[in-house]
Amino acid sequence: MSTEAAATPNLAHHFPNLEQQEHAARLGMWLFLATEVLLFTVLFTAYSVYRFLFPAAFAAASELAHVAIGATNTLVLITSSLTVALAIHAARQGRRKATVALLAVTIAFGAAFMVLKGVEYAHHFADGQFPGRYYRYPGLQGPGVSMYFSLYFLMTGLHGLHVLIGMGVLTWVALRAARGDFSPSYSTPVELGGLYWHLVDLIWIFLFPLFYLL
Amino acid sequence: MADAAHARSHFGPAHYLAVWGALVLLTAATVGVAKVEMPHWAHVTVALVIATGKAGLVALFFMHLWEHGGAIRLVLVVSVLFLVLLIGLVLADNATRFQYANPPYSESWGEAPFEAVAPPMQDAPAKLEKEAEPR
Repeated sequence: MSTEAAATPNLAHHFPNLEQQEHAARLGMWLFLATEVLLFTVLFTAYSVYRFLFPAAFAAASELAHVAIGATNTLVLITSSLTVALAIHAARQGRRKATVALLAVTIAFGAAFMVLKGVEYAHHFADGQFPGRYYRYPGLQGPGVSMYFSLYFLMTGLHGLHVLIGMGVLTWVALRAARGDFSPSYSTPVELGGLYWHLVDLIWIFLFPLFYLL
Repeated sequence: MADAAHARSHFGPAHYLAVWGALVLLTAATVGVAKVEMPHWAHVTVALVIATGKAGLVALFFMHLWEHGGAIRLVLVVSVLFLVLLIGLVLADNATRFQYANPPYSESWGEAPFEAVAPPMQDAPAKLEKEAEPR
């Protein structure tokens, strides 16, 4: 065991080998992702309740969403999921430059997503489409409309925060990859950072139809 | 056991590209279907089915659930179970309430009080001083 520990500097002393360490890390990450899913579940529940109570208001308010920007952002996130999956693949093969480049592209997609989201928010703010009692858009008034915008800003805002955190995590992973920390036998941080990014994509996959299309 | 762990990924760039293509097609499909004339419940159902399909593709292939089984799948299944329980039971509560136990002017209040008292839902500029009903 001591010989293996000496041969593998990334192995923590309480794991017998790298495989077990990787399994434990992956399971821990999935447990964390489950808590993230449950965090958003509560918000999706709030959305379901108010959509159920005010179906006409929600249908009318979602007409005010910018479908073209939302659809573009969906494609941006899906493509960034592809590039991060390819980055993990490259890291497992020990291709350092490819890993760093693919992670950089992923981060750039994340930034593009945030810029588009900002443009969208600016449009809403310019029209007076604020959350809750601050909603003052004259073109659409009625009970339930302001709830749509409360939930819209809360859920896409929290999701945007996750995009920013994901960009931070991937930046850290990319810096480590550039430093040469990863090898075919050890690329767990790339994989776990990628898992977080995929979860961000997964949540958006549900947010997009609920707020833009229905 | 060690062999299984060493087997690692059976998926290469070609597979990931195929999954990406499917995700793009499904995105186009959900945007396209939203414009088709259908009853509201059908729109909701189709959109949720497509979104679940896309989420499944991401989870199975991008997140490697296909190749990593066991406890990880259990974690996902349990979190989805709680998601369904929470949304399902809370909606069941709202759907079976005495009408005035739901917020004013919500769907269960029926047409008459909505028309009579609620600020109108319209596309033309409404009276600005009339704020949305406080909850």
